[in-house]
Amino acid sequence: MAQPAKPGKGRIVVDWLTTTDHKKIGYLYLGTSFAYFLIAGVMALLIRAQLAMPGLTIVQTKEQYNQLFTMHGTIMLLMFATPLFAGFANVLMPVQIGAPDVAFPRLNSIAYWFYFWGSFIAVAGFFTPQGAASFGWFAYAPLSNTTFSPGLGGDLWVFGLALSGFGTILGAVNFITTIITMRAPGMTMFRMPIFTWNTLVTSILIIMAFPPLAAALFALGADRKFGAHIYDPENGGAMLWQHLFWFFGHPEVYIIALPFFGIVSEIFPVFSRKPIFGYRTLVYATIAIAALSMTVWAHHMYVTGSVLLPFFAFTTMLIAVPTGVKIFNWIGTLWRGSITFETPMLWSLGFLTTFIFGGLTGVILASPALDFHVSDSYFVVAHFHYVVFGTVVFAMFAGFYFWWPKFTGKMLNERLGKIHFWLLFFGFHITFLIQHWLGVKGMPRRYYTYLEGDGFTWMNQLSTAGSLLLGLSMLPFLWNVWMTSRKGKLVELNDPWGYGRSLEWATASPFPRHNFTSIPRIRSESPAFDLNHPEFASPDAKPQAGKGKK
Amino acid sequence: MKTNVTMLNFLTVFNLVVAGVYGFWSYIVDGEIEVIGFAALTMLVFLTGFISFYLAKSAKNFTGPEDDPDANIEDGEAEMGFFAPWSWWPLVLGLGAALCFTALAVGPWLFAIGFSLSIIGLVGFVFEHSRGHHAH
Repeated sequence: MAQPAKPGKGRIVVDWLTTTDHKKIGYLYLGTSFAYFLIAGVMALLIRAQLAMPGLTIVQTKEQYNQLFTMHGTIMLLMFATPLFAGFANVLMPVQIGAPDVAFPRLNSIAYWFYFWGSFIAVAGFFTPQGAASFGWFAYAPLSNTTFSPGLGGDLWVFGLALSGFGTILGAVNFITTIITMRAPGMTMFRMPIFTWNTLVTSILIIMAFPPLAAALFALGADRKFGAHIYDPENGGAMLWQHLFWFFGHPEVYIIALPFFGIVSEIFPVFSRKPIFGYRTLVYATIAIAALSMTVWAHHMYVTGSVLLPFFAFTTMLIAVPTGVKIFNWIGTLWRGSITFETPMLWSLGFLTTFIFGGLTGVILASPALDFHVSDSYFVVAHFHYVVFGTVVFAMFAGFYFWWPKFTGKMLNERLGKIHFWLLFFGFHITFLIQHWLGVKGMPRRYYTYLEGDGFTWMNQLSTAGSLLLGLSMLPFLWNVWMTSRKGKLVELNDPWGYGRSLEWATASPFPRHNFTSIPRIRSESPAFDLNHPEFASPDAKPQAGKGKK
Repeated sequence: MKTNVTMLNFLTVFNLVVAGVYGFWSYIVDGEIEVIGFAALTMLVFLTGFISFYLAKSAKNFTGPEDDPDANIEDGEAEMGFFAPWSWWPLVLGLGAALCFTALAVGPWLFAIGFSLSIIGLVGFVFEHSRGHHAH
């Protein structure tokens, strides 16, 4: 149990395998999900290479192509974005509320292993003779039954995702309990950082959305393996699956969006040197998004012709309102602030720009009359990449650059970070902006190839060129991480950015084992700022503000 | 605590209203209630309602300094509870569950192995820090 002075390699491995420390589990989540991000990114590059010219056979068979886009979607949504939330929440949320760990440390570890093995099982389909699942990441019935999609790959996909889903649910229960019961004295709900608020709301969304997915997957598994007939089309099974899947699938979009909204909400105030504008409205907007996100699922099903169009069009447009409130709050935070453009801020601004594009096309798609024309075309592909990539990837890198000194004790290189940002920013927009027009011209998603005469060629070439740039933009980041770990200087400050607000900036970098040696008084939503800048502290915090420092 | 209960109550009422509107609207349009969405929304009412009921109940013996805006750090409990410093059992239990789930796709022979490992993992997990009744 006692740590030897200089742990050997075996000791380090055992430490990571058996850890119950929320930060280490968080780093495991972050590392694993980032590895899946790279794997699914390579799949995306293969897909783009295949579409670079009409009639190519870079991906040898159409079946393999189907496997690639199926697993690209599955991995990016369920093995990258969702566990990335669990990673950030695990590392940061307990520190932000002044807790020594999460409420159930061993359950936390179980949640990680369920995710790890579940994802491994789903991806292991690639090593079976017929290959991985190939029915699209939303596995529509009856395409996903054994008549149309035989093979072990599909079965492994179903049960792997079910296991990983249980991990997600257990993790969410842990986060909710931790936030409700383990806040430090004085850390009232309305003094929690926005990231912690969004972790709470996201976790509530998870326990509302993931159980339907588990049920739907077990029913699909029963159909595939045990001869059940739950999703037979003659019994209305096609609609049953779509309803259940999207009842999970739409909240899932917000599950991977809200925490990353939280990350940028932490970053904007620090680099604008202003408190967040409209703290309470941000919290209320988050709760409103969570509530509404459970009511919009069938806007993915407009073209089935058997859903209540006015209801879903109305709720979908309604959800743009709290989202707009958030954007208003972020811009209000920037407004007349003393803004500096350190890398985390750059990424957050990149998020804001990209996400607004995706939000606008979302309002277009919410309208059934417009959606019918572009449904299942590249317009939709462009839309959701703007939303999901704009949120998850931009905010992920913002968070990495922002909290790296807290994770490792060393700052990432700013210059490499900026090169990384601009390469990725242009790479992303060159890849996906053109796809809006590609969709409007009529290119359907998921097609293996197209004809010379379709007139899609130059647009696809531009998109593929952009994707190459996007892929290359990972190199400066990986180089940056490597160089920082080798040569980076230790920061030795609690708050290397100088204007950190929440509690993680009031403890050492990297974090000590149980997070704090002492916690400052909490009198506002930015206790670390009150401690380090008592002259500007909120009025409540002023009398006897902090002990020491300044 | 009050904030949490209020939030969950809001979600409960919201889900209830949406379930009602959705059920009624689909009934007047199609002549029958769209059961899948209606059932799912109704179950959300129970989910959020149940959690808020539990929290409101337990709030009575459970109001700590974290909800007091004037509390100081030293007002908290000195002893936060017991935190396992490390544990092998989550890994064992995870592996057992992974084998069980793979078995559903692959075959019952693997389920026997996975289930046995899960039981061992579960017993180990539950009794890891147990020192029997009345022992401290």
